[in-house]
Amino acid sequence: MNWKPRSALLAAVIGLALTAAACGSSPSTSSTTPKGTITVAGFKFSEGSVLAELYGQALQHDGYTVTFKLNLGSREVVAPAIKSSQVDLYIGYAATDLEFYNSSAGEATGDVTATTSKLNSHLQPLNLVALNPSSAVDQNAFAMTKANSTKYNATKLSDLAAIGGQLVLGAGPECPTRPFCQPGLQKTYGINFKSFKALDTDGPLTRAALKNNDIQVGLVFSSDADLSSLGLVTLQDDKHLENADNVVPIVRTPVATSEVKKVLNAVSAGLTTADLVNLNSQVELQHMDPDVVTKAYLQQHNYFS
Amino acid sequence: MSILARVVQWFADPAHWTGTDGIPTRLVQHLQLSVESVLIGAAIALPVGIALGHYGRFGNLAMNISNVGRAVPSFALLVLAFQIFGLGDAPIIISLTALAIPPMVTNSYVAMQEVDPDVKDAARGMGYRELAQVLLVELPLAVPLLMAGIRTSALQVVATATLAALIAGGGFGRYIIDGLDQQDYTKLVAGAILVALLALATELGLAAAERLLVPRGIRLLRAPSARRVTYKAA
Amino acid sequence: MPGHLFLDYVDPWINWDWLSTHVPVFLAALQEHVTLTLIAVGVGLLISLPMGVVAHRWHALRNPVLTLFGIFYTIPSIALFALLIPYTGLGTLTAEIGLVGYAVLILTRNVVVGLEAVPNDVLDAANGMGYRPLARLVRVELPLALPAIFAGIRIATVTTIGLVTITAVIGLGGLGQLILQGLVENFHTPLVVATLLSIVLALVADLALAGSQRIALPWSRSA
Repeated sequence: MNWKPRSALLAAVIGLALTAAACGSSPSTSSTTPKGTITVAGFKFSEGSVLAELYGQALQHDGYTVTFKLNLGSREVVAPAIKSSQVDLYIGYAATDLEFYNSSAGEATGDVTATTSKLNSHLQPLNLVALNPSSAVDQNAFAMTKANSTKYNATKLSDLAAIGGQLVLGAGPECPTRPFCQPGLQKTYGINFKSFKALDTDGPLTRAALKNNDIQVGLVFSSDADLSSLGLVTLQDDKHLENADNVVPIVRTPVATSEVKKVLNAVSAGLTTADLVNLNSQVELQHMDPDVVTKAYLQQHNYFS
Repeated sequence: MSILARVVQWFADPAHWTGTDGIPTRLVQHLQLSVESVLIGAAIALPVGIALGHYGRFGNLAMNISNVGRAVPSFALLVLAFQIFGLGDAPIIISLTALAIPPMVTNSYVAMQEVDPDVKDAARGMGYRELAQVLLVELPLAVPLLMAGIRTSALQVVATATLAALIAGGGFGRYIIDGLDQQDYTKLVAGAILVALLALATELGLAAAERLLVPRGIRLLRAPSARRVTYKAA
Repeated sequence: MPGHLFLDYVDPWINWDWLSTHVPVFLAALQEHVTLTLIAVGVGLLISLPMGVVAHRWHALRNPVLTLFGIFYTIPSIALFALLIPYTGLGTLTAEIGLVGYAVLILTRNVVVGLEAVPNDVLDAANGMGYRPLARLVRVELPLALPAIFAGIRIATVTTIGLVTITAVIGLGGLGQLILQGLVENFHTPLVVATLLSIVLALVADLALAGSQRIALPWSRSA
């Protein structure tokens, strides 16, 4: 029985596995910065990647090592991750985050300062902090195809109250539990949909479903840039269900040093809704990469420093 | 309350047994996707594998197609199918069928190859013509391995159908994906249990079918199915 | 053939410009993918060898162990990964626990079957030659079981490579991250290229293992 090839092979496999493990655990980028590592999470929609890259690259430019966890999931996934310190930062939306952390108590208003400070009162016991909100806003919006809007004579959300039973609502799976989504439509507008279809949060599944008429009303975002090119119209939020969903970074308190706060607040101060729509447009319509468009944007604004 | 207790409570809740998100509806969706995929896959794979095995041609291809099939990431296949075909059942069934075909081709090829050449000779000598020989003599002898291939495919399809929920599909995968998105671990575990139960039921059902199809004499001689190609794509 | 879903922008199946500027991204994903796989199969082998030997030794355990493992095998991997997150977090550990688990399920079965395939005459002869149980196991039974074990390693490796893509849904995933990006951004290129790379990786691994088997076990046909 010839031992040598077999033992050599076994040794090689074990050696390979150990080497791979060692290679896998060493940092892939050489870090010459003494400023430490920050992990940024992004929500599972393209604007989530844009915002994560935007703020993350600003931190990188300032000398931090940034790890990105993009397309991580909905807030239901990201919040536990930041609470358990698996990520350090995510870019949220003031009103929606407030209603998430206060268990839908209904405290959010159109006043972003008040909303953010209430948000912080709920974040503080969790060792988290919301920084300065940006003037850039992205709220939930509800879209129909132009054809359906004409067919049902619907231009505002209150038009749907009477015909809810004929319509299927489509959004991410978290929508039935979100105050600014299905429950809000029912409470504020009295719309009782025929059924709900779980798709994705403002993604290609929702758009395809609208196009196929699998759903008649779909959740989109007010900062989306591709809606009209897809033949979609948003219904006016005439009863103001949606509130101050200003972009706001949420950080773990130990990570929120004055330096980090300075960098992130500078970006928030410079970012406008128009900027956000423009960034989204480049990603959604021209299919550019989130990291590429945010880098160009930051360079253009000299990283807001 | 422990998660197990909550899961039991979830199953006990009558609301979870009715409506568009109820267990019966999801079961029917999951079964429909799985059965259609396996049937279509079988309709394509079995004739090919049986013919190749009978004539002993393209053995390497038939044997290796399982390896290639196993190498295709099921998640990617579903997303690609969505990007090509859009929403609905069609992209899901197309992907699942593609995943179901390889094990059935390989196993049916091997099954036909394993038929004792003496038996084939004897049949030829007795005057059986090609098709009759295949259908009446070789196939019954090939049934154990053939069924092993079908069982492997079916189990894999049932498991992979859970991923269909990622492209807006129905079935028990909805509980798992929605549970993950909503961080509702009770629903997630319930979904996983339902899929596992369905897989078990599939295995037992097909084992029973095999017992009906395998000729009695072969059943008595049956060797352990050590050659079964194991598969996990989801 | 360019794919036109429903945007004005016609998205080719492979956008070579984008690809050429993103080679490092793919290489990093590939590295993560390979690392996750090697660890899973390596650790899986280390666990399943003794486990298979035990299941083979004690006959009473054989069927319960294999049946139990068969049942766990039916649990969808995505559920398992998701369930681990609250306990083991979003890192490599969560992915590896799941991946090692499934590898063990595959490998143990093949270890047991391989050991069972050792002819009784050989065992008798070994006993007759004075081999004690442990020596007999290491120097006679395991080497003869190697074809089946190798077959298991091949299947486990290819299977693991596929399962790694699923870990993308919990924030990991190697090439799976690019697949997810393709889905969320409705972008063909990362999806197509990552899928092709994943398939090529699996086939290369399978061929390499088949080749190693031929070198290490020249007397055996590959299973």
